[in-house]
Amino acid sequence: MRRVSIVQGENAIVVEPGVVVSTLLGSCVAACLYDPVAKVGGMNHFLLGEPGADHRVSAGDMQRYGVHAMELLINGMMARGAMRHRLRAHVYGGGNIVSGLGGIGTANATFARRFMADEGIEIAHSDLGGTSARKVEFLPHEGKSRCTRVADHVPERPPVPVALPPVGGELELF
Amino acid sequence: MPAAAAIKVMVVDDQTSMRAMIRRALQDLGFKDVRDKASAPEALSSIKTDRVHLVISDFNMPEMDGLQFLEAVRSDPVIGKTVFIMLTGSADKEIVQKAAALGVNNYVVKPFAPAALKEKIERVFGELT
Repeated sequence: MRRVSIVQGENAIVVEPGVVVSTLLGSCVAACLYDPVAKVGGMNHFLLGEPGADHRVSAGDMQRYGVHAMELLINGMMARGAMRHRLRAHVYGGGNIVSGLGGIGTANATFARRFMADEGIEIAHSDLGGTSARKVEFLPHEGKSRCTRVADHVPERPPVPVALPPVGGELELF
Repeated sequence: MPAAAAIKVMVVDDQTSMRAMIRRALQDLGFKDVRDKASAPEALSSIKTDRVHLVISDFNMPEMDGLQFLEAVRSDPVIGKTVFIMLTGSADKEIVQKAAALGVNNYVVKPFAPAALKEKIERVFGELT
């Protein structure tokens, strides 16, 4: 069994059997998506917003980054043969672990649920909210996942403030 | 009336949430006539019969991608001059260059702030508000 571990901001897409993708979650959300026909699956790990030292992330920023994180995963899966209308989801995380973050975990969980509803992706499994950190293991090819609550210590990287994209692109063509 | 209110827009993206977000951003900028489609072929047939001034299209779509869509628009004698802004992922430099060669008017790198979208539209249409 090959193991792939992802952290905040990453995703992993798998088409072959016998690969387990894992991640550790606090207030972040991991979406495990799979297409049971194409046998393509993937997981991402994202945080919609975390108050940074010098700026606050607006609701619009949060929404934008969440939609982008989901799009990267879905597009990557579709490039490997998945079909959008066949996707199913397992969603985990969104715990309110650290007090004083203004229910950021709840906001992440709410986003995840709303996103799946808007896109018509059935949530086959979920474990969202609460106050525990979680360990998630996902077998993308098989479409199976396992989520275990872990001790009160949050073993994820320190929150990284969301960096706003520069206005304009990287190429000066226009 | 602000300039934006007179501009008819077609938004094309296969992801519902992205279309909703772009619509909202455009409405906040003063656009009144915003349509959207989930695929390029649908958008193409729609704008051929009911023309728009501006197309904002994702690149990464199944069936017909943004470049094929742009090419189809530019080669049409009626809607060929429609302003076309492409949405791309940050790593898609090659796509931006291809789009420029095909006559794209501008592009926006995802994820983008409404201000970035406004700036790119204003570079083509002038001040919106």
